[in-house]
Amino acid sequence: METALIALAAALAIGLPALATGWAQSKIGAAGAGALAEKPELSGLIIILVAIPETMVILGFVVAIIILLGGQG
Amino acid sequence: MIVRMSKVEIIGSRDRLDAVLTVIEEKGDLHIDPSNIGFIDLEDTAEIRTLLPDDRTLFEKMFLEELNDKIHLLFALLPEVEVRQSPLSPGPIIDTIRRTVDRHLAWCREQHHKKEGLLHDLVALEGQLAFLRAVSSLMEGMTETPDLDLIGLTLEGPEVLPELRQQLENLTNGLYELATTRTEEGRMVGLLAVEKSRTAAVGAVLRDTRLPEYTFPESFRNLPLDRKQAYLADTAAERRRDLATVDRDLERFARRWGPIYNAADHWLAERLTIIRAEGQVFESRMCFFIYGWMPTRGVEPLRGALEGRFTGGVHLQELEIRREDLERIPVALRNPAYFKPFEQLTRLLPLPRYGSYDPTPFIGIFFPLFFGLILGDAGYGLLLLPLAAWLVFKYGDRPLLGDGGRILGACALYTIIFGLLYGEILGDLGSRLLGLHPLLFERQDNIMAMLVFALSIGFVHVTLGLTLGLIAAIRHRLKKEALAIFLNLVLLTAIGLLLIMFFGVFPDLLARPLIILILTLTPLLLFSGGLLAPLELLKTIGNIVSYARIMAIGLTSVLLALVANMLSGLTGDIVLGAVVGILIHLINIVIGVFASAIHSLRLHYVEFFSKFVETGGRPFQPLHRRDPDRLAKGRHPIG
Repeated sequence: METALIALAAALAIGLPALATGWAQSKIGAAGAGALAEKPELSGLIIILVAIPETMVILGFVVAIIILLGGQG
Repeated sequence: MIVRMSKVEIIGSRDRLDAVLTVIEEKGDLHIDPSNIGFIDLEDTAEIRTLLPDDRTLFEKMFLEELNDKIHLLFALLPEVEVRQSPLSPGPIIDTIRRTVDRHLAWCREQHHKKEGLLHDLVALEGQLAFLRAVSSLMEGMTETPDLDLIGLTLEGPEVLPELRQQLENLTNGLYELATTRTEEGRMVGLLAVEKSRTAAVGAVLRDTRLPEYTFPESFRNLPLDRKQAYLADTAAERRRDLATVDRDLERFARRWGPIYNAADHWLAERLTIIRAEGQVFESRMCFFIYGWMPTRGVEPLRGALEGRFTGGVHLQELEIRREDLERIPVALRNPAYFKPFEQLTRLLPLPRYGSYDPTPFIGIFFPLFFGLILGDAGYGLLLLPLAAWLVFKYGDRPLLGDGGRILGACALYTIIFGLLYGEILGDLGSRLLGLHPLLFERQDNIMAMLVFALSIGFVHVTLGLTLGLIAAIRHRLKKEALAIFLNLVLLTAIGLLLIMFFGVFPDLLARPLIILILTLTPLLLFSGGLLAPLELLKTIGNIVSYARIMAIGLTSVLLALVANMLSGLTGDIVLGAVVGILIHLINIVIGVFASAIHSLRLHYVEFFSKFVETGGRPFQPLHRRDPDRLAKGRHPIG
């Protein structure tokens, strides 16, 4: 039971931020595509802006790892 | 590095202005400031005013701009050819060129009009030929008799056939024959045979159902089919010959007149640059005044050039740069050869302000380091190195690809270094086949160690940024800001030490003093940085935590490499296993390169540069000649 709860916790820790990241990046990507249509020279900056929300899923990944490793211990 | 600039003023008599601007353009390193704010005192502004062009200059500007536009129109009508450099100087013969360009423009337009007509004819002829080739096969099944009419059709698709057949059935009582086929281009065409007496009625039905009857031009409508084809083929060949003649004439014209128009284009661009620069100059009753900024190392050469040309008649002096000038000083970046390619990455950001830091050297040092930390596989690095070398050797003269290759080369080297430190060559293939042991630790088995390592790197990187910000604040004598940054640094270090003690790395002897220090310094932080200062501290802690992505993305790269090796082993077949392994490793390299690059850049732009780089610099745009190599190479049309 405990193992299942730990696995569920780890899954939620990465799953929910991943959804949030996807939602945020979809908005930024759409806006970026519109900006690029008028100013193609912004391509590099827009790639960086799209990458910014990935912090959420990366930190969620880290928390998931900590939960799993802590659960093993 | 941000090039050190000097504030200069050039004064001379009015009649020498053109010559002085020509010398400045030749030197190419003076950015003329269109505003005299900061260059002269308020009481002098009544005496020194913006130079207004006289009628002669205005007329010359309009004349040259009109000629420039016409030459560009001419270039747009001519094919691109390599031309020799013209030995003639266009300046003395510009009036002649002006008279000639209208005639040449009219001729080129006529040739283009002729060419368009020929192309239009050719397209129509080829369409007719395609139709005839398609229907000729249908005609073999039909007998041509005097009382029968053959009608060609173009059909949208097979869906129109049932309705058409029904209507023809009703109209001709079944006395018709319709055959369809497709042309080489995929169009559906048909051949309808009906009695001559019913031709008109059938034609009306075809019009009602919007099926165009294929009609041939009058000139060969009554020819038999085989002679129609030959006629069309001969006519199309003749059109192609005419087209080739027009192209040859245009190319001959471009080779003959291209050099002089190319030279005229360059001369006009330089002359117009001088005239437009005159709009940024100031004048008093007798003298002109040019205010601007230039690299400090260029001041003496320009002074020498003006002295040599005008022997004391034109005076250049350096003025004192005041604090309020800092926002207006234009920014030029110059970096050593290793860092220069990284300016491509710096260009994604706004220019730094003069007096701030050029981010290029920092990206040059830390970007490949972080790239290597994240990708960290010696095998991948060894694969990326030849790719980088190929980019540099093949595209070295193209800025984006050549510099991209150089950056990739540096990143590949660090990837190899960290691959050896982690003991990774194509995942665990190095340890399994070559017995490679990590010099640091294995990433997949020491996740917490890697996380601590990544956060430590983040701590060092962010505190370096804060330290640079502190130095900048002290340099600009911003005491409160300097104090706030210093307090942030001390509090971050104290919190870091407390965390280390919490995890039992150090004994907790200093825990109480550190807590007292934090509680004492926090009100000071509020005083120096305002109410939001504690939030800024929390944000900085968040910035450090963001470096955990070095562990996270690196771990995914390692695990994917392990999956590649595991899957290739599971296939049981050496060839299939190699294919599977290579494919997955290739995908991992592509994802790894992009992810490592983007996240390394993001760490720099968001977490690091925000601590010390002030953006908002003006670009340095000196008055200069166009690229002389372009004239020497004789590229044409202008590019």
